[in-house]
Amino acid sequence: MNFIKNMTRGLIKENPIFVLVLGMCPTLAVTTSASNGMGMGLATTAVLIGSNVAISALRKVIPASIRIPAFVVIIASFVTIIGMLMKAYLPALNASLGLFIPLIVVNCIILGRAEAFAFSNTIADSLADGLGMGLGFTMSLTILGSVREILGAGSIFGFSLFGASFEPVLLMILPPGAFITLGLLMGLINWNKKKA
Amino acid sequence: MSFIFILISGIFVNNFVLSRFLGICPFLGVSKKVETALGMGGAVTFVMALASAITYVVQYAILEPLNLEYLQTIAFILVIASLVQFVEMILKKMVPSLYQALGVYLPLITTNCAVLGVALLNIQYEYNFIETFVNSIGAAMGFTLAIVLFAGIRERLDNAVIPSALEGFPIALLSAGLMAIAFLGFSGMKLG
Amino acid sequence: MEKRKTQIDWKNVFKLGFILFVISAVAACCLAFTNYVTAGTIEKMDQETNKAARQEVLSEATDFEEIPAAELVKIRTEIGLENPDELVEAYQGKTGDDVIGYTVKTAPQSGYSGEVQVLTGISKEGLVQGVTILKHNETPGLGALATEPAFKDQYKDLSAAEKITVVKTAPASGSNSIQAITGATITSKAVTDGVNISNEVYLILSK
Repeated sequence: MNFIKNMTRGLIKENPIFVLVLGMCPTLAVTTSASNGMGMGLATTAVLIGSNVAISALRKVIPASIRIPAFVVIIASFVTIIGMLMKAYLPALNASLGLFIPLIVVNCIILGRAEAFAFSNTIADSLADGLGMGLGFTMSLTILGSVREILGAGSIFGFSLFGASFEPVLLMILPPGAFITLGLLMGLINWNKKKA
Repeated sequence: MSFIFILISGIFVNNFVLSRFLGICPFLGVSKKVETALGMGGAVTFVMALASAITYVVQYAILEPLNLEYLQTIAFILVIASLVQFVEMILKKMVPSLYQALGVYLPLITTNCAVLGVALLNIQYEYNFIETFVNSIGAAMGFTLAIVLFAGIRERLDNAVIPSALEGFPIALLSAGLMAIAFLGFSGMKLG
Repeated sequence: MEKRKTQIDWKNVFKLGFILFVISAVAACCLAFTNYVTAGTIEKMDQETNKAARQEVLSEATDFEEIPAAELVKIRTEIGLENPDELVEAYQGKTGDDVIGYTVKTAPQSGYSGEVQVLTGISKEGLVQGVTILKHNETPGLGALATEPAFKDQYKDLSAAEKITVVKTAPASGSNSIQAITGATITSKAVTDGVNISNEVYLILSK
């Protein structure tokens, strides 16, 4: 029961991107296509689960005064491990996400969840929280990537949707499109909330 | 490769915030007032220049000779985190006035991906020491330019009538999008 | 100015330092282990990707033999390459004992976002057999279109003996030029730079 509650919270009510507005750099940078967004989301989820569990397990060992450097070390190790695994088994995705893989370290979501949740909750709860937050992040990134890919390239997950006569809105997969899509999606969510 | 080209390219063509998407969190978070934006820009410039110099030495004097490149991320983030702490302590003691101005922003810099980003990019582009330094100054100036301009826009947005659903972040993101379009104009400039 | 001598609690400092040290040490060990496990796979994957790419640009060859590094150094000076990094490696493609062509990996720095890695296959008759882009950071939807067959296949059967040029409209047949991607002339030129370097390398190797 509690597990489910901890997990679903990250999906909608405290969605890291649309509600908490955390982790903006990868959100905007890699969502040029649905599959990139999803790949980044899943990589972040893996790191988030790992770091949440490890930090929760060590919460009685790590003194509060040095928690931040300890968190950073733990997170950075998980990021490096995920990075190496991706390089070995998913080289194409690794190449297209490039610099943003090591930069998962400074994704505020991960440090934020470590500080706000994992450091004061049990391992199981932290696992649920990491999974929920991670999937919420993945979902948002995939939506953002899909919208940009559909408008900017006329395809989704690489499959062409409209045939050759479709003239893609290139702007959507260029940097400005990231800001504009996210702004409009957030506006849509607000509008929906106000109506209800 | 001329230094001026690296500098200009860092500020305008490959603007860190608007075309590389590095440092978005402070860009959105600390840009409500021009004054605070300037403070953040100053703090970032300072830390970025120091951090890239130190990470350069760490990479080429420690990690590479020992074949420990896989510790790069962890080593760099530790350098940046301790550097930020160190700068904070030094400034507090030696230059209290500067500390007063920058103090609040310093802890935020650790999680500013622009700092780690520039350090990693310098290595990736195989810049030499001086190029590393110039590139980070350019990146930091680009960051400062973007955040200060953006703060100017947001100050005006406060007085504008906005559809209620777009208030807050949505309208900020839309303005940032328009700014990014303006900066796309620089991309025709092929330097070096 | 308040004068306050801060007492440093050394015992505590050592304790905290020790805990941090242990965490870092454990982390470093985990990383070393993962590195040990994945390094082999990464290298193998790398080699396989490279081999597959060579096969793609020079499909008739069954075997590839690397041109020794010492020879590449000579070639770099001979064609007057400003940046030695732009010529990465070269292979001789063979069927049985017969040399049927060459593949050259180049890394022109002139892309829109820096380096573009281009692999070119050239037959021994001096015709470009295939071009593929191995690595790039070009803009999705613009420069990244260079990886599409519609662009890459234009190089096929162009002559390696003269410089390939980039034009903005559909080139006349037999003009040894390719049409630039709309909105991505810089990328198109960078890829062509890579192919042209490969052609020069071919001219020396085939002598």
